Amino acid sequence: MLIPRRLKHRKQHHPSRSGASKGGNTIAFGEYGIQALEPAYVTNRQIEAARIAMTRHIKRGGKVWINIYPDRPLTKKPAETRMGSGKGSPEWWVANVKPGRIVFELAGVPEPLAREAMRRAIHKLPMKCRFVVREGGAN
Amino acid sequence: MADTKLVAEARTEFGKGAARRIRREHKIPAVLYGHGTDPVHVTLPGHESMLALRQANALFTIELDGKEQLAVAKDVQRDPVRNIIEHIDLLIVNKGEKIAVDVNVVVTGESAPGTIHVVEAQTLSLEAEATHLPESIEVSIEGLEAGAVVTAADVKLPSGSVLLTDAEHVVVTVTEPRGTEDESAEGEAAEGAEAPAEGE
Repeated sequence: MLIPRRLKHRKQHHPSRSGASKGGNTIAFGEYGIQALEPAYVTNRQIEAARIAMTRHIKRGGKVWINIYPDRPLTKKPAETRMGSGKGSPEWWVANVKPGRIVFELAGVPEPLAREAMRRAIHKLPMKCRFVVREGGAN
Repeated sequence: MADTKLVAEARTEFGKGAARRIRREHKIPAVLYGHGTDPVHVTLPGHESMLALRQANALFTIELDGKEQLAVAKDVQRDPVRNIIEHIDLLIVNKGEKIAVDVNVVVTGESAPGTIHVVEAQTLSLEAEATHLPESIEVSIEGLEAGAVVTAADVKLPSGSVLLTDAEHVVVTVTEPRGTEDESAEGEAAEGAEAPAEGE
């Protein structure tokens, strides 16, 4: 699973969820992509689950790009704990995804197979997404 | 190449308020510039412009106040979520003039069985005649074995165009795909080896 190797601060503020994606909203490497349509915190487990769903469906062949990285820690207080006494301990690693962001890319497979593989991957993600094809047509 | 005629209206209001009012009427704010002239702010019909822009490197005839000018779309701003065109930059061109354009790379053929191809450069920069801009460049990978690399120099260019991209720029690579089983095993191994990140 994706996790930062080292970090400057163990506990951070929650990342902003407002606005649309400023960059990374066009397909850069592959032929097909998954585009986020809602803001979401995508955990490293969800990224991994989506990647596995996709690569298992395409079996052999094809190349997958993961365009997001879970670099933001989220904390959680233990259950049945009184409020106060400081911030909870880091629990999840999330990528702050905003609408328009291309989350995954895929190349080297026919479009129907890519569509189905990405449909399976979308089910593992916490936000509404859509399948997109590179502008200028798939190769 | 098809020449699309668009009737433009001159724009006197600027800023996001005016631009949004134009978009609400299903029109597109645009700007027309080039050849050292002052930029002219115009409004284009929304649906016709959208259909015309489906063709890559399309040439437009812009009719403005009874005068006709040839132009190409230099930049198109789109809303990534709603997929609507927000603004178009039009570059004035003359017949016979050569301009630099980015042309999409389209891969044809099938590489050797058991290999996959990855398009490393989605576009190539070419210098071509403004009235005959190529829509795409075909790169054949028929029968290429794993490890084969197609560079910009290997690409057959459309007649009358000159390559501006570095000739050694890699366009397509052919590789052997990595198996799913290996990848999931790798993923599990990485999970096992995962260590808590250090900080502060």
